[in-house]
Amino acid sequence: MKNIILILGFALLSNLGVSGEKVFASDELNCVLCHKHRGLSRVDENGEFRLFFINEKMVKKGPHSKVKCIDCHRDIDEIPHKPAEKVDCTVECHLEEPSSKQKFTHKPVSEVLSKSVHSKYDAEGNLKELAVKYPDDYPDCKDCHEQPLYRPLSFFKGHAAGISERGLSRCKSCHTKGDFAESFYAHVTSRLQKMRSPKEIVGICARCHGDPQFQKRHELDAVVTSYMETFHGKAVHFGSEAAPDCVDCHVVSGESVHFIEGQDSPTSSVAKGNVATTCRTSECHADAGENIAGYQVHVTYDKDKYPLQHYMLKFFTALMAAVLYFFVIIIFLELLRRLFPNFSFTKSSGADEQGH
Amino acid sequence: MLGAVRKTIYILYTIALMVFTVWYANFIYPIIFAHSDSKHAEVVDAQEQGKTEEEQMFEKFLREQGETSTTDLGYMVVKEQYVKGHFHHVGMTIEPDTSNACIKCHGAVPHDKAKTIRGFLNMHAFFLSCELCHIPPKEGQPKWDFRWYDKADGEVVSNPPGLVTTEIDKYGNYGAKISLGVHQDGTFRFINSKKERDFVDEYLKKKDLLGEMEQSKMKKVIHRKVAEKPILCEECHTEDKEPYLPFAELGYPPRRISALTSTEVVGMVKKYRKFYIPNFLMQDEKSDDSKMNKAKEETGSL
Repeated sequence: MKNIILILGFALLSNLGVSGEKVFASDELNCVLCHKHRGLSRVDENGEFRLFFINEKMVKKGPHSKVKCIDCHRDIDEIPHKPAEKVDCTVECHLEEPSSKQKFTHKPVSEVLSKSVHSKYDAEGNLKELAVKYPDDYPDCKDCHEQPLYRPLSFFKGHAAGISERGLSRCKSCHTKGDFAESFYAHVTSRLQKMRSPKEIVGICARCHGDPQFQKRHELDAVVTSYMETFHGKAVHFGSEAAPDCVDCHVVSGESVHFIEGQDSPTSSVAKGNVATTCRTSECHADAGENIAGYQVHVTYDKDKYPLQHYMLKFFTALMAAVLYFFVIIIFLELLRRLFPNFSFTKSSGADEQGH
Repeated sequence: MLGAVRKTIYILYTIALMVFTVWYANFIYPIIFAHSDSKHAEVVDAQEQGKTEEEQMFEKFLREQGETSTTDLGYMVVKEQYVKGHFHHVGMTIEPDTSNACIKCHGAVPHDKAKTIRGFLNMHAFFLSCELCHIPPKEGQPKWDFRWYDKADGEVVSNPPGLVTTEIDKYGNYGAKISLGVHQDGTFRFINSKKERDFVDEYLKKKDLLGEMEQSKMKKVIHRKVAEKPILCEECHTEDKEPYLPFAELGYPPRRISALTSTEVVGMVKKYRKFYIPNFLMQDEKSDDSKMNKAKEETGSL
């Protein structure tokens, strides 16, 4: 109780404007008094850099702008506070989920994740053997998610990124109070597209799947490298929003993006019998035949695993090198001849013979 | 004459084409031989050649160095430093302090001993030089003069305009730090001026030439100005007396000075001092206070 009074008193003092500093709406306790400083940081016992800086401007750009600091950092009950515990994303926060009128929580997402290939537990609820050996290899929320940011869209006149002020003005005719209209507009239009660009999604998956040691530990192929060699990968690399990223193919259309299953699961979107259906989702190759699934997307050139591809690669590499370097050498020699038209290794000896 | 010119042009043209052919041969090499699994295997093998955990961490830090993350929001692109496990967006990039001599060995996040306040101390290291707190004036010595220096070259710069901005991005992110110095012959000189910084650079380059005894001696020489007791928080964050740092002279607007010396900040400092600041940082103070003893226990053997 004493602590709560202390916090409330401090908050009141802060909000009275003693310092004249602005405090953002969800920061009732004026946490940014300290956390607005970019250098607030330390290096922890494991050599990891821990940054405690909060960029208010960035917080305001996402759905968490309405969440109070203490809703996530629940163990902080005094100021100054001790090192905060790890945030549990499955707790209920003060926000109300509009459709169910219940307190908001990410628990359903966590439940879905626990059934996916990324879970530490198998279908029977036992800890996987590899999860015992390498617990850090299995992701939790923060491994894939940074604080989400809105990617609003404007449809008012054509299609463009960002908020349409003219469109928003229509909302604000009725929804006048606070920033409800702005926030609702940004939230809904962001969800009409991917919240993160395909390039970012690939980058996130690559944090683990692009690590050669991770691949070796889990006996996985270099899937990121092989993906980046496909047309899809190249389109994404050059900024395409339409080309499929990892999630587009590895999640069954209409399912939660957190429900990714392994290739060996019969209900997986990438199980042998399901690949063609996955390619034919309405946004992609809707009219494609069965043969669209007739090639291996993530093929590597491993001699033992993919011998055919390995030797094909060797053959075509040799062929390309032979053809290109043959012509390069021919052109170089031709130019050399033009430069020294009369040069000959045998000319001088021929002259000697004539002289005799 | 015309014939000679034409011949020269012809020769130059041929030589240029030959150079291009050689360049092209070199250019296509990585394209032809780009696909190689041996590269992947080499990486894994190199990482696993009986290396200790520390060696592997060192290699990891080398790989992660300067890693950035990009978030494309369509209407803007956020490029920021990537900090593993950091949930909140940093939203900005920061200029490193490449001029400060201390940072070359101690790094930019040097404070670690005082567990409860180390984050705050590191936060101050973001815009204050190390010597500002760790080299207080000796007894009887006049107060230091203070100036901002450019993080890139260590030279004096005028007070940063970012001090008076209300833009959040600019807050504390000035590309400059405050340091201390003296006036000599009418001109200001940092106590760690270019000459001193070059001396440290030279020492770091050549230290392996010294014996272990000489290295210890040099360490002492380089740190000889460093006081055992640093300047404490309340020397600047004070309502009762003139702050150690002349905020107004350094370009802080009245609003910021008021915040730095306000009940809010001073009260926070007092709370930290009361509960958390460990004894080793306290000057001339008996440690018979039970709370201080508690703090000492809490911070462990420092």
